[in-house]
Amino acid sequence: MKALLIDSTRCIGCRACQVACKEWNELNAEETTFFSGKGYQNPPDLSPSTWTLITYNEVEVNNRFDWVFGKMQCFHCNVPACASACPVSALEKTEAGPVIYHASICLGCRYCQLACPFKVPRFEWNKIIPEITKCTMCADRINAGMEPACAKVCSTDAIVFGERDELIAEAEDRIRKNPTFYIHHIYGKEEAGGTCVMHISNVPFNEIGFDTNIPMDPIVSKSSHAMKPIPYVLTGLGLVLGGVSWVVNRKKELEKETKSGMEG
Amino acid sequence: MEKKNKIELFDTIKKSFGKLSIGGKIVWVLALFGILLVLYRYAVGLGGATNLSDGYPWGLWIGFDILAGIALAAGGFVMAGTVHLFGGHKYHSLARPAILTALLGYLLFIFGLFFDLGRPWNLWRAIYSWNHASPMFEVAWCVMLYTTVLILEFMPIVLEKLQLNKLLALWKDVVPWIVIFMLGMFTLAMSYSFVWALIMVAILLVWEISMRKGWMPRDKQMPIILIMAGVMFSTMHQSSLGTIFLLAPTKLHLLWYTPIIPLLSLFSAITAAPAMVTFESLMSEKILKHQSKFDLISSLAKWMPYLLSFYLFIKVADIIGRNVALETFTISVQAISWWLEVLVGIIIPLIFYITPEIIKTKGGMLWASSFVVIGLIWNRINVAVVGIYVDKWDPYYPYWIEIFITIGVVAIGLIVFKWATENLPIYEHETAPTA
Repeated sequence: MKALLIDSTRCIGCRACQVACKEWNELNAEETTFFSGKGYQNPPDLSPSTWTLITYNEVEVNNRFDWVFGKMQCFHCNVPACASACPVSALEKTEAGPVIYHASICLGCRYCQLACPFKVPRFEWNKIIPEITKCTMCADRINAGMEPACAKVCSTDAIVFGERDELIAEAEDRIRKNPTFYIHHIYGKEEAGGTCVMHISNVPFNEIGFDTNIPMDPIVSKSSHAMKPIPYVLTGLGLVLGGVSWVVNRKKELEKETKSGMEG
Repeated sequence: MEKKNKIELFDTIKKSFGKLSIGGKIVWVLALFGILLVLYRYAVGLGGATNLSDGYPWGLWIGFDILAGIALAAGGFVMAGTVHLFGGHKYHSLARPAILTALLGYLLFIFGLFFDLGRPWNLWRAIYSWNHASPMFEVAWCVMLYTTVLILEFMPIVLEKLQLNKLLALWKDVVPWIVIFMLGMFTLAMSYSFVWALIMVAILLVWEISMRKGWMPRDKQMPIILIMAGVMFSTMHQSSLGTIFLLAPTKLHLLWYTPIIPLLSLFSAITAAPAMVTFESLMSEKILKHQSKFDLISSLAKWMPYLLSFYLFIKVADIIGRNVALETFTISVQAISWWLEVLVGIIIPLIFYITPEIIKTKGGMLWASSFVVIGLIWNRINVAVVGIYVDKWDPYYPYWIEIFITIGVVAIGLIVFKWATENLPIYEHETAPTA
């Protein structure tokens, strides 16, 4: 499975990845104002035309404030909550890794937005024919043997594309070689059952915009106890309801027969 | 010539509108206003008509129109099951209005889906594009199949009215096979297993053949299999509307996020069913002047203390078992809303139902059942709106257009209910069923 490893300590906040993402995916520019987000963060948030975003976080590092950059985009979970939630399989986890979206069958129910623990999917609220939008990990480029646009343009190799296992090994190696510098955690290795976009950083992840309360199991495992018994409950009801109605109504019949018998 | 016709049409509309009572006029105006706003919503997209956001993608429409609407429709399957499966024949006259409410509830719910969904024209795709891991897939199938069951359950009422006896006989003959097919497909879709689907079909075939051979008692008016299907689809639907929220573990407040939310969702709907039937019957007596059957309502009310106290018991046991009981004593919107839900929906009506002086009167009965109904609606809004907290997003409050569309939907429901009770044999149906 292909994946991305993003090292916040290597990111210089140039936002070339944002530009490359817009160019490859033909997304519109957004009109923004200065300081509408945190610091120089621009645009302020993900949107239907911004699928990836460098977050600008002022964090205390070694007793002085420093910019630390995080990267927001779809995490391409191993077992995606969005794809589990989608009633019509409009969201699909591909074997290569990317989670892709098929607009033509989407109902627009927005359950994927509710289910996504990373709060990534964006809905086109102001369109008459709206779509769910999010990073596709440049699935089309990956299929053509290329790396995603953001990884391609990253000038400091803060974004690296490769096989997921190899990237995990790489991340562990970097942390091992610099144990006092890095936080000893690969964000995305286990979050929500593991994701194909992973981050390492020298500051706690909650300080650079990541949710650190995300369960470590796939989100869909939270509903398996309710979904698995369905065939048992259904056939059980089929047996019990039919049986009960047989007994109850037969009893009524017998009562009636004895009554009419007594009358006769 | 054409112009004249138009003027005549306008005159008749004006006349019939003039005949309405003030309440009736208000209801019509609200319904039409709601429809106008729905058209506006289609013109501007969901963003212009709602306060929904990417952080809070679901709002009032999901909480009220969909979750509460479906929960209140539970009267249909509870009464149909009680009358036709569990030998409660004496409640027969309460079953038809309950089935009508359920059918109306589901049709309005589908209407609600058409403006809440971003791409409603794709709704039918759930028929072939399956995802049995998704609770929403289960919901989608239950909606389609149970609405079909309700239409089938409602058909004899229409056929009776039109005196199409041959069609009625055909209906009785064909319906069981349709139902067996639907349940087989549903089991297949939910399990992805032909074995389970065959087991289901086999069980139903055994019952149907036993009835046709005369071994098993047969309801002469209603195919038992159809009623069974109603109970089965409803059980799945009511519980799956709770299951949906299991996929939001980091967003739904601890007071409502529990592994047993599907059970609570099903059981709260069943608990409210007799209250809803009562509420409806007493309200139609007040407004539509149908004599209510107070003796029947009273005997239904005898179940309420058991149902309410059992619901209260599992709700409290769940809170204590998950060790979040202390959450209810924090000062937060969620804790206050939880207490109001429990007080209004369970504790106050429970006191009413066990106080003979209150429950013996029609007024007291109306109050008690109203509280249960309001409590159920409150619970669903808590789960879908109040209890949802998404970090870093501005909290969601419904936009006025959302509120007026919801009011419009309720108004349409009232208009259709009134029309149906006046033009179809809903209340007059007196023939006792023979087992």
